[in-house]
Amino acid sequence: MAHNLLIHYSMMRSLHQKGLRLLGILLTAAGPLCCAYAQMPNDAIYMGKKTACLAVSYTHSSWDQYWENSLKRENLNIGTHTTQSVMPMLAVGITKDFNAIVALPYVWTQASAGNLRWQKGVQDASLWLKYRFLNKSGFSLHAIAGASIPATNYIPDFLPMSIGIQCKTATARLLASYRHKSGVYLTASGSYIFRSKITIDRDSYQADDRLYNSNKVSVPNAYDASARLGYLKKAIQAEGFIEYGACDGGDNIRRNDMPFPTNNMRATLVGVYAKYQPKNIGVNARASHAISGRNMGQSTAFSVGVLYQFRYAKDANN
Amino acid sequence: MKINYISLRPPITRYVIPALAVMMLWSCSKTVDEPTAGISSPSSLDENAGTWKPYLLASASEIPVAEPKQATSEDYKAELKKLKDATDAVTPQQREQINYWGAGAVFRWNEIARELCARYNSPPASTPDGKYPLPDAANPLKDPKFPFANPPYAARAMAYLSVAQYDALVAAWNYKFKYNRKAPSKNDASIKTLLPVSDLPSYPSEDAVVAEVSVVILKAMFPGEVPYLEAKLAEHKHSRISAGLNVDSDIAAGSELGKAVGAKIMARAKTDKMSAANGQAMTAAMIANAKKIGVTEPWVSQEFPPRPPMLPTYGFVKPWNFDSATVVALRPEAPPVIGSPAFQKDMDELLKIAKGQTREQARIASFWSDGVGSYTPPGHWHRKGAQLCHENKYSEVRTARALALLGTTMQDAGICCWDVKYYYYYPRPNQMSSKIKTSVGLPNFPSYTSGHSTFSGAAAEVLAHIFPSSKKEVDDMASEASISRIYGLIHYRFDCEVGLATGHKIGSYAVQRAKTDGAE
Repeated sequence: MAHNLLIHYSMMRSLHQKGLRLLGILLTAAGPLCCAYAQMPNDAIYMGKKTACLAVSYTHSSWDQYWENSLKRENLNIGTHTTQSVMPMLAVGITKDFNAIVALPYVWTQASAGNLRWQKGVQDASLWLKYRFLNKSGFSLHAIAGASIPATNYIPDFLPMSIGIQCKTATARLLASYRHKSGVYLTASGSYIFRSKITIDRDSYQADDRLYNSNKVSVPNAYDASARLGYLKKAIQAEGFIEYGACDGGDNIRRNDMPFPTNNMRATLVGVYAKYQPKNIGVNARASHAISGRNMGQSTAFSVGVLYQFRYAKDANN
Repeated sequence: MKINYISLRPPITRYVIPALAVMMLWSCSKTVDEPTAGISSPSSLDENAGTWKPYLLASASEIPVAEPKQATSEDYKAELKKLKDATDAVTPQQREQINYWGAGAVFRWNEIARELCARYNSPPASTPDGKYPLPDAANPLKDPKFPFANPPYAARAMAYLSVAQYDALVAAWNYKFKYNRKAPSKNDASIKTLLPVSDLPSYPSEDAVVAEVSVVILKAMFPGEVPYLEAKLAEHKHSRISAGLNVDSDIAAGSELGKAVGAKIMARAKTDKMSAANGQAMTAAMIANAKKIGVTEPWVSQEFPPRPPMLPTYGFVKPWNFDSATVVALRPEAPPVIGSPAFQKDMDELLKIAKGQTREQARIASFWSDGVGSYTPPGHWHRKGAQLCHENKYSEVRTARALALLGTTMQDAGICCWDVKYYYYYPRPNQMSSKIKTSVGLPNFPSYTSGHSTFSGAAAEVLAHIFPSSKKEVDDMASEASISRIYGLIHYRFDCEVGLATGHKIGSYAVQRAKTDGAE
């Protein structure tokens, strides 16, 4: 998820990706990870102690319209922009209230029209730590911390084709959840994402309506919020969600120009998520769509994943 | 098992949490450090610059500048008193401005012009009916903004700016040493100065001359920026007073001279055929000619909807260091016949890069991309030129000379290259194979020869002459700029190699001038 977020953030950067980004963030983050009992950086589900879940997800996200600043437009020299990714993710139950999640996506982009070259590669590695510090009568509170770091030297400023934007990130998230005995749950979360400066290949670029004579680029921080209503019982989980993500500052795409990592990308996504895990092996799927945004593509994303849950240490008591 | 569990925790708290803290620190600073230019401290006064050959002025004394009041006069003493009051009341913000402009008048106005080029380097968007509206000089801020500061436009804007600064400074130097008014602080030692003071006579003020002449040119080139330019002009002139370096009459005389030189330079700009450079009506005849001379598949726009090619008759614009007949004489031989072994060899190279562009190739392509939203290749080279002048402690007038030699050769290169492009009308590799996609953006005009290569060859030729100790560095830069267009997948190798060689030939004309302008 973290990396998904990152991916998406990067993507978000790119027009399309932008659209995707929030979506992607939400989607990817949430989507790929879920194991039966767990678990993504944006849910209230935990792996039990000494159990782990390995998940691999595939995500397909595309847009043929984007928000150039606030102007919704198409671009005949891009056509349909598609970002695909495959992400292995491992969630580990350290205690029943403390989980760690790591993930590393491989991402590739393409445009159906025009002359912009595809990009592909391993994107950003992420680590999430999830801690349930209150759990009473179905109500729980969780503190979640995430960090990500680019895993390869991919090109960050060739948006919307870049697979990411090379930021190191740190995320602080608070999540609250209530689950009724019937299995119905309601979860809400909010996060703040710190993002590092990046280095680009050029030593001059435009941002904030001025020219910078440097290869360092200051990327705005970001924040997000989400609400999800769902049902979780035994092998089945299903939910609907709405997510909002935005940069804390940043500039807009200039008229008829390409996006840039400094852009203030924002999007609101709606989507559904479902998981079925009768035994150790399970599957999940997720779909989302951007209903509004700025400086990013209006993406529609689908993802599917397989999950495998196992014990990584023998429990003497069992 | 329990032990296992316990042993897991310390690493988490010991390493992960500090790691997160470090990441947060990385993220906290949002300030980008840009290279700072130190205060200019010229190593020479260039006392004889008043005898250097101007570009457009008939002589350094063509525009009269009145003799200043004597240092002993009551008027001048009153000016000194006023200056003392101004320097005593300097605010921290003024001090910042003093230091900013203290890096050099030509240096800063060149930088301002590059920034304007970048901010106006946006191709018009197509309308719903598939047309591309033309920018309108009478409504410069309306979408699409005027101008579209593409490389030929930027080359010309920077050329006029540099020539105007140079001619104005040659005239200023003439009067400085004719009238020999000492700097205010040398007439009154009690004046506090906030920048170094040399023995350069202060009348007329070289800063006022440069500021005023630059604003005349830049207002004409970027008519939407008049308020911004006037604010910069006022700030620049005032910085010299608050720094204690010029009295009002130094500034006023410099301003008048700058304005008058600016008008002379703009008279040429109005008749240099730039207004006819977007001759779209002539492309049919150009295409017919290209077919006649063997280009079987002439260039067509690869954009959707097809965009009219960039400035097809820019090749007829008046050059600086030679005449239009020489533009034709400098035209290189025809590119390989499409489909010939020579063509196929360079096409195969591109197909290979298209499959597996390396990260280093992508880096070089991006570093030199200088595309939409940038200050363009002429801006890239002006930046290098200005930097070299600053590092070599050039005086204002010598800096202006170097940038005029560079600026004029840049526009000459643009004119020659555009002539070649529309003479051969040769297709881009991306038109010949859909497997070739670019990592830098595809320019909307014919391929042969490479503009980057031509600009860079000419720039390196001139800069290597002016700064012989930097010859290897600028030659390497030019070679890299040239090959970057292959790595970026928008040019054949023959476009780049022929363009670079032609650029060097074009630059040699400016070098010829440099040898005879009286400054060496």
